[in-house]
Amino acid sequence: MSTASPVKTTAVSAEGVWKAYGTGEAQVVALRDVSVQFASGAFTAIMGPSGSGKSTLMHCLAGLDTTDRGTVHIGDTPVTGLNDKALTKLRRDKIGFIFQQFNLLPTLTAEENITLPAAIAGAKADPDWLKKIIHTLDLTDRLSHKPTELSGGQQQRVACARALATRPEVVFADEPTGNLDTRSGAEVLRFLRTSVDDFGQTIVMVTHDPGAAAYADRVVFLADGRIVEDMAEPTADKVIDKMKHFEELVAAAQEETA
Amino acid sequence: MLRATLKGMASRKARLVLTSLAVVLGTMFVAAAMILTATMEKSVSGVIADAFTGVDAVVTAAEDPAAAQGNTPSATLIPADVLETVRGVDGVESADGDVSGQVNAIGDDGKLVGTFAPTIGFNWNEQSTGFNEIREGRGPEADDEVIVSTLFVTESGLDIGDTVTAYSYTADRADYEIVGVFGLSGDRDSLAGETQMGFTTTTAQHLLAQGENAYMTIYVEGDASTDAIADAIGSDYRVQTGEEASEEAAQGFAAVADIMGYIFLGFGLVAVFVSVFLIINTFTIIVAQRQRELALLRAIGAGRNQVVGSVLAEAAVIGVIASILGLGLGVLLGWGLSQLVSSSVMGGLAVRLEVPPTALWALAVGIGVTVLSAIVPAVKASGVPPVAAMREAVNPPKPLRGITIAGLAVTAVGGVLVALGLTDNLGDLGLSGFLSGVGIAFVGITLLTPILSRPLVAFLGAVMSWSFSGRLGKLNAGRNPRRTAITASALMIAVALVTGIATLVSSFKQTTEELTDSNLESDLIVMGQQGANIPTFAPETLAEIKALPDVAAVGDLYGEFFGAQVDGESTPLFASEDLPTSLDIFSGTVAEGSVDDLADDGLVVNESAAEDRGVALGDTVPVTFADGTTVQLTVAAILDDALLTDGWWVAPAQIEHFTVPKPMQAYIQVADGADVDAVQEEVDTILADEPEVDVTNNAQFVEQQTAQLDTLLASVQILLALAIIIAIIGVVNTLVLSVLERTRELGLLRAIGMTRGQARRMITVESVIICLFGAVLGIAVGIGLGWTVQQALEEEGLTSFALPWSYIVGYLVAAVVVGLLAAIAPAARAAKLNVLNAIAYE
Repeated sequence: MSTASPVKTTAVSAEGVWKAYGTGEAQVVALRDVSVQFASGAFTAIMGPSGSGKSTLMHCLAGLDTTDRGTVHIGDTPVTGLNDKALTKLRRDKIGFIFQQFNLLPTLTAEENITLPAAIAGAKADPDWLKKIIHTLDLTDRLSHKPTELSGGQQQRVACARALATRPEVVFADEPTGNLDTRSGAEVLRFLRTSVDDFGQTIVMVTHDPGAAAYADRVVFLADGRIVEDMAEPTADKVIDKMKHFEELVAAAQEETA
Repeated sequence: MLRATLKGMASRKARLVLTSLAVVLGTMFVAAAMILTATMEKSVSGVIADAFTGVDAVVTAAEDPAAAQGNTPSATLIPADVLETVRGVDGVESADGDVSGQVNAIGDDGKLVGTFAPTIGFNWNEQSTGFNEIREGRGPEADDEVIVSTLFVTESGLDIGDTVTAYSYTADRADYEIVGVFGLSGDRDSLAGETQMGFTTTTAQHLLAQGENAYMTIYVEGDASTDAIADAIGSDYRVQTGEEASEEAAQGFAAVADIMGYIFLGFGLVAVFVSVFLIINTFTIIVAQRQRELALLRAIGAGRNQVVGSVLAEAAVIGVIASILGLGLGVLLGWGLSQLVSSSVMGGLAVRLEVPPTALWALAVGIGVTVLSAIVPAVKASGVPPVAAMREAVNPPKPLRGITIAGLAVTAVGGVLVALGLTDNLGDLGLSGFLSGVGIAFVGITLLTPILSRPLVAFLGAVMSWSFSGRLGKLNAGRNPRRTAITASALMIAVALVTGIATLVSSFKQTTEELTDSNLESDLIVMGQQGANIPTFAPETLAEIKALPDVAAVGDLYGEFFGAQVDGESTPLFASEDLPTSLDIFSGTVAEGSVDDLADDGLVVNESAAEDRGVALGDTVPVTFADGTTVQLTVAAILDDALLTDGWWVAPAQIEHFTVPKPMQAYIQVADGADVDAVQEEVDTILADEPEVDVTNNAQFVEQQTAQLDTLLASVQILLALAIIIAIIGVVNTLVLSVLERTRELGLLRAIGMTRGQARRMITVESVIICLFGAVLGIAVGIGLGWTVQQALEEEGLTSFALPWSYIVGYLVAAVVVGLLAAIAPAARAAKLNVLNAIAYE
């Protein structure tokens, strides 16, 4: 019953991306020549230990951060080299965000938070589509509540609805379950899965939780700023197993580049 | 602990600068006020002392010393033989008689020279030349010659070689040739704005001493004691040393500087008061932001008192630095203001800067206010539980009930004080009661502001919500009612004060207008600008106006304001050549008796005045005029009480006893169907030779009556601009902090597609709403204040209440502009925000 296009196109791609912070002695290279493609209608997890560069990669892909070298595309649109205005428009129209901290506006109701991107664009969100995701997320009764009146899980579901409200080309989720209990986390992950399977959305999720990664179609492992493993059809066990051998992977990757 | 405080302060420089600025401005104005007063006093007494240099004794008539200075037309005189006696006293080297007093001179434009400050005429003699310096020409040698002051030349448009017409209360017009121009020593044009004319002694006596060979003052040089002089001339005269006389003279001038000093002090205190709000707000926010840091300090063992001490220490450091800076700037401002006052009011008096010890009070005020304002936030800070260090900071909105009840109570106390102050229940303390009541009411209303902010901000915001970022801005403005309220309160106070005054001015205007419309049955009014003297015109002119074909009736008014007595009590007297007509025009009505064919010994009075004195129709009352004549007058009519006709009226036959036996005002009724403008032109032609008065129609009359009030209002607004500047700083401060606090939110908005322009707009709308809120509240409070005062003054004749619409609209527009300006920096900061850092911001 998948509505996704049978022809897999590329939603996001990075080509030889380098990113470093600081200068001289204090310089930290966060990404070293990273090239990766994310297919449309797929759910991809990015994993890696702290400092592996997974968040940096996501920020560069999402146009929140600039790359030092290399190019990033969202669909056909080159992200690299865009000015602030164009980047803002790109984020508004083509990208959805889900954060660990939910990041809802406390002054707005759940419904207003969901339609926020459309409101900022001065447009109106497709009502049928909105209804569908709100129903799927079981938020129908909560629409008039303020974020402070919602549980953490509910808040994150509102954030999910907001990310999907404009039918973006890609949704970036940064540790979406990091601040949730296991049950709420599972609900959010199930929704993300559903949005890929039923609605054909593209999702790129950064996580350090093998259980969360198991919901994805594919897991990309990052270490020391490099992609060290690309795993299809992950399970929690496979991911945990891979992480146990991380040091070997890193060493191998370093040799390869050397 | 202190080190931690100082390090913390250093990391928050921008905010400290803004807070300090408020303290600096307040302190600066308080100090400047004190310095202005002291400097002007010193400068004036210096000049007067200069004037009395070489004068060892001063003889005046024993009575009223003010009379001797020539401020009233009937100065008591010293006959010439007394001067001779003084000259004969042992040790007297020289003695000069001085004749001086107010004269009228007609300038190049046919009108009086120097309307607002008098023209002083005096006898030019050797004594004069000591203090006055001839700039051009020479002193008068013939009785038809005159030397004039440089300011006279400027104001009259006449110069050396021209002929000037001059006269006085008692002397008719005569022409004098200007033979010289003099200035005052120290390159000044005037002492206090007056213009001067020096005549020969004979002419001066003709103009000012009814032609008697007499003087107002005798200046003595030599080492004769004042006692010796007094013994020689008897007890009818007062003998002072030069120093005593100089001090006495200086006091009069110093009073002017004192009043200005008080005005500036008042504005300084308003500024300080407004700063209090800003300081409280800043420290509250600092404490809120430092919550985790303070909790950490508490967790590692700092006591509550240490936390309080830490916040207060921060306040003290700000207070000390800002107050010293403010004092320094205050000295500069005080010096500048003194220069301004000197050149605009004091005729270019040389300013001698004086920093009085009282200026140190400004320091105390600045430091005290800062520390006291920080107490509430400091105590709040000490209440932060140590466990807060471990938790995400949550500041749930506190219920507003307590603060609202407190606000109602405080407002009520302030209101009661205002009411008591206005109704004379506090006696001499009335004014201070009223002012402190206003202050307390402001505090109370400030406490009520949070609860008022909800509906008002929602309403004002609704107007601004046409764009989505505007809507977000509106929601942000309503987010923290306490903070929005206290920020807006600073603006509220400034706006309330100006609105209150503007309301009074417009009420006064309306009252004047209504008075003119409903009580004055005339179309044209002949009168002069009330200036240094009461303007009058020739009685013959009145007859000429009456003879005009299109004039239906003319009411006229003569007045005696100097020292007439009815039954032994000083009372102004009025008279009219045609009392029945005048009463008609002034909407006066007769209750008892008749005013027709008023007998020469007839007296007319209104009901309540008659009652006050226990006088009834037919009673005979002794009336004494300023010229000493006493006549027995019989009450011929009692008038109903009416605004324009209340008082004592005598028959035309008594006018000759008036100090100025000339009409002051005429009210002209134009015949039905006649062109008022044409009649006005005809009357204007008749008045061509009357320098003191003009003819105006009713609208012009109202305009004239209220012109000075507009000037007053304008100056008040300029001075309150200071409080408004402080209020703007408060808005900027709050917005900067809002941006800081909401960094993460702004980051999110930018991440999901809000443009920089939209972010700027959002902050700007928040700013404009806060400012509008303050302005709306201020306008409401100001109107209330104006209404209260108007009610209290209703009995005194302020019968109408009118809103200053144009000003109200102006203030609202200004609030929007202020909001836009205040938002510039915070909005730029919000727009510049690095999205990535903002999201990662903890």
